[in-house]
Amino acid sequence: MTVFANRLSGRESSKKIFLFTAVSPMVIYMLVFALLPVVWAVLLAFFDYSPQRASSGPLGLGDTNPFIGFQNFQNMISGETFEAQLFRSSLYNTLIFAVLVLPFNLLITIPLAVLIEATHERVKPVFRLIFFFPVVTSSVGVAVMWGFIYHPQNGLLNGFILSLSELLTALGIQPPARQIWLTNARSEIAGIPLSMLAIVIAYLWQDFGYNTIIFIAAIQGIPDIFKEAAAVDGATPWQIFRHITLPLLRPTILLTSVLTMISSFQVFDLIQVMTPNGGPQGQTRVLTIDIYENAFRFQRMGWSAAVALVLFLFVLAITLIQFRLLRSEWEY
Amino acid sequence: MTDVPHTMTDFPLMTVGRGQVRQVWRWRLAAVYAILLIGSFLTIVPFAFTLLSSFKDAEEIRQVPPTFFPTNFTWENYNTVLNDPDVPLPTFYRNSAIVALANVASNLLTSSLFGYIFAKFEFPGKRVLFLFFLAQLMIPFQVTMVPSYLILVRLGLLNNLLGLIVPAALNPFGIFLMRQFMKAIPDELLDAARVDGASEWRIYWQIVLPQLSPALAALGILTFMFNWNAYLWPLIVLTQQDIRTLPIILTWYTNQHANQLHLSMTTAVLVMMPVLFVFVLMQRWIIRGITLTGLKG
Repeated sequence: MTVFANRLSGRESSKKIFLFTAVSPMVIYMLVFALLPVVWAVLLAFFDYSPQRASSGPLGLGDTNPFIGFQNFQNMISGETFEAQLFRSSLYNTLIFAVLVLPFNLLITIPLAVLIEATHERVKPVFRLIFFFPVVTSSVGVAVMWGFIYHPQNGLLNGFILSLSELLTALGIQPPARQIWLTNARSEIAGIPLSMLAIVIAYLWQDFGYNTIIFIAAIQGIPDIFKEAAAVDGATPWQIFRHITLPLLRPTILLTSVLTMISSFQVFDLIQVMTPNGGPQGQTRVLTIDIYENAFRFQRMGWSAAVALVLFLFVLAITLIQFRLLRSEWEY
Repeated sequence: MTDVPHTMTDFPLMTVGRGQVRQVWRWRLAAVYAILLIGSFLTIVPFAFTLLSSFKDAEEIRQVPPTFFPTNFTWENYNTVLNDPDVPLPTFYRNSAIVALANVASNLLTSSLFGYIFAKFEFPGKRVLFLFFLAQLMIPFQVTMVPSYLILVRLGLLNNLLGLIVPAALNPFGIFLMRQFMKAIPDELLDAARVDGASEWRIYWQIVLPQLSPALAALGILTFMFNWNAYLWPLIVLTQQDIRTLPIILTWYTNQHANQLHLSMTTAVLVMMPVLFVFVLMQRWIIRGITLTGLKG
């Protein structure tokens, strides 16, 4: 035993060399590509910085790109400038988007997971495969496909409405009208612009497979004995779902809600491709579009960094609320 | 109806004949399958419509209402797109493949190495480093996007595929994941190799890596898909046409051919195909990877 221990302790120096050769390059890399961007991002938010103005200061900050304190943030809250108004409508649109996506996502994915779990072992993988296809498709591909579906003249959706309307008129029912789904600023449903709803639907289509897989895994983690006991007691499938599956899924529901919320807060690809430049009258302009355009189209990087910090604060708030809610969870 | 529990009336399933119970279950199962089939149909229709439209000619694509199945089936669109001198697709496939594969290689290497180190070694500053990795997971990409761009400008990596590779070499999520897996591997295994005189790098290479291989496979596939499909960061870094990756080319092409939807859809099929193919081949690993890791693609 002592010989064994001696040999191991003799290894301490080689362990140190190993750690040094591996960790020190990592630390240097992190300083440049992880820590510096974070520090720089915070600094930028307090400067009126544009890369077009050369400045001699460190990181290009100072003199021609002056320090302005909290002015960016004050401007966001109460400013009357064009960019401040754009920011506020972007924030509003982002909230609308996230608030629409989350409940519909859960309403689709939880029942879907339960239904898939009710099928035969052999067909389960088939359904999982199908429902997961949109998740692995590039979001640009999804946007192009749905852009075609929503196409006002040649799209599938208006074509379907047109075909349906003949049938409905024959039955004496008022048929729904064909729509300009993505570019008409004046059409809305319940106060929400039609273009926004159209994108929410495409986003839900792309995203639902992900949470479905998570819920399937969670349902498989619930011991069968609970459901069997309830079934023996004469519970209907609905009662089993309502009083056993759903309560035991609570931690998973919380977690997926937060992840879904955070990723819908950061939506960019679908919106940028389907409704370029924020859609009709900026109705689909969300925070990431605002950040991207300010930084790379208008070269207002200080302002853009400040908007990104606000996005971060929202994501942080959602995460903290989740931690609070999860603290009081039980195990089974 | 009595208040005494556990009489037969409290067991409605048992009060009906066995045949009837089976009948009820059979109807329920039929309803389950019906809903799932409708769901599958709605999931497949956009893909099918895109694929079928790539076989339609310029006239049919403009028809109102549109046809679903092509009436004059043609391969001509694929000919047109693949021979368009403005869109050298092989170059863009190559760009996307270089970025995705390089990032898979670097992420697997760094995640396993530092996951191993964080799980099995003690050194000064370890806690601070690890907390920083965790904090990074919470910071949205949008926050560091602008400074990262400015760093690339100073390093001269703009319009260079390295601009998508170098800043992505450390994946905090991958490191965290590998650390979790590494903790399950007994120290005795590593100490035995040390007693036998293996060097530390050799232990990492010959003992740790094979032990982590299932987790590495999942991480590798997810990393590949994430990079292959990435849009925002490549859009910022790559502004010259010939260096771009597939998703940017797809949006560029559809904007150029807004009135030639049959060509746009053909390009969309060509761009989406490889990753869907990989997915069908590796779906078991991908789905396992996602449920294991909770990683969002």
